[in-house]
Amino acid sequence: MDPALRAAATGMMAQQTRTEVISNNLANVNTPGFKRSRAHFEDLLYQSIQGQQVLGDPNAETAPAIQVGRGTRLAGIMRMHDQGTVEQTGRNMDVMIEGNGFFQLDNGRGNTAYTRDGSFQISDKGVLVTSDGWALQPPVRVPTDSSELNISKTGIVSVRRGKDLQPTEIGRIDLVAFANPSGLQSLGGNNYAPTASSGEPVIGVPGDAGMGTLQQGSLEGSNVEIVQEMVEMITAMRAYEINSKAIKNADEMGQMANNLTR
Amino acid sequence: MPDPVRMNGLSSAASALQMMEHRQQVLANNLANASTRGFKAETAFARLMGNAMAVTDTALDTTPGTLTETHNVLDVAVKGDGYFVTQTPNGDRFTRDGSFTLDSDRRLVDSRGNAVLGEDGPIQIRNGKIEIEEDGSLKVDGHQVARLRIERVAKGADLQHEGGTRFVPDATRQIVPPNERHVMQGFVEESNVNTMSAMTSMIDVLHRYGAAQKTLSTIDSVRGIATTELGKPI
Repeated sequence: MDPALRAAATGMMAQQTRTEVISNNLANVNTPGFKRSRAHFEDLLYQSIQGQQVLGDPNAETAPAIQVGRGTRLAGIMRMHDQGTVEQTGRNMDVMIEGNGFFQLDNGRGNTAYTRDGSFQISDKGVLVTSDGWALQPPVRVPTDSSELNISKTGIVSVRRGKDLQPTEIGRIDLVAFANPSGLQSLGGNNYAPTASSGEPVIGVPGDAGMGTLQQGSLEGSNVEIVQEMVEMITAMRAYEINSKAIKNADEMGQMANNLTR
Repeated sequence: MPDPVRMNGLSSAASALQMMEHRQQVLANNLANASTRGFKAETAFARLMGNAMAVTDTALDTTPGTLTETHNVLDVAVKGDGYFVTQTPNGDRFTRDGSFTLDSDRRLVDSRGNAVLGEDGPIQIRNGKIEIEEDGSLKVDGHQVARLRIERVAKGADLQHEGGTRFVPDATRQIVPPNERHVMQGFVEESNVNTMSAMTSMIDVLHRYGAAQKTLSTIDSVRGIATTELGKPI
């Protein structure tokens, strides 16, 4: 098979993968705490084509060997952890992290998971949980007779109990930071697990350097920007198209070569 | 005795066809890598060899690609001249693809797991806030731990493609002085392939291929006449 055909085919496959990643980003444009991804490619090995020499002439120069590449391959999919948009919800158990921290969760099976999706609820056991039912770590227990739940910028959770006029502090929300958040492994459901690449979680409280602060009554929207994704999609489509043109070109050249003998 | 360098039209046309095929292969590879970070296009051009033979020669097009902001702490791009240096089993390699990550030993590595070299060898990063400055200094929580090695080759020296967006440097490799570096954290360099000019080159290749093919067929039919028609009894 013509190497040009094959190289162009790898290009088309690459653009297809890129479009799949963009589609996933767009599908999650309204997912709180979602982080967009980008496909990352690298070129394949190169073939050195030996230079030619004019036959029968000892003094003729030899043409230099040329390097011809053989296409592209997927090297990985990278997640981008820039801040998402602020979505005001007014709900007192919605908390947004303004900064780089993550909430620490207990997934109920003894493992710790991390998320930036701060839409909490009170579980049947009276603790703050995410929409997956995973409890905040350390747990924040909300007494049954409480009202007016308040979460401060630095993570202190307080409520008004019974007929008290003064609020009572019932816990504190911790945050963790990672040296390389894009190295986190995505568990789905907006949750992440640490890997060797992300580094060990550094536990702190909101307001510490590199953690960020909390904002009650808001959620972090997805960091997908529709316009940007659309531009990416158009470029991907055009690149797909032009690779198909390269196939067509190589094919036509092959046809012409075949027409050399009548 | 005929001059051995003078070639017959058939081989001239055949060498032109082959040259166009190589050009098309180079173009196809460039286009396949239109979205490969840090990719540098290969330019194919024709060279006249002997008196009538066209051969392909290639050169690396080192024009910078556009920089895209990713906000990732371990994404770095070099603005202007200079390459990151990675350590591979086959020796040191240059790359412009600065989307790095950390491996299980917390060493800074590229997407294939090759260590990214600092001025004192591979860089190990402990937990903390990572900052990379314009001269490539890498700081964790404000303390400098290493400085990225940024190198270049002499002007006119050829870098060889190796795949995996790596290049093989030649003996002219040298360290870029810290005051001439522009390392940008949170950015990646996109491919420098210009799809528009690649498209026009492809049309050009196709037409020239057609022309060479016509030339070959014409010479062939002329010879056909010479061998079949001449000397026929009338």
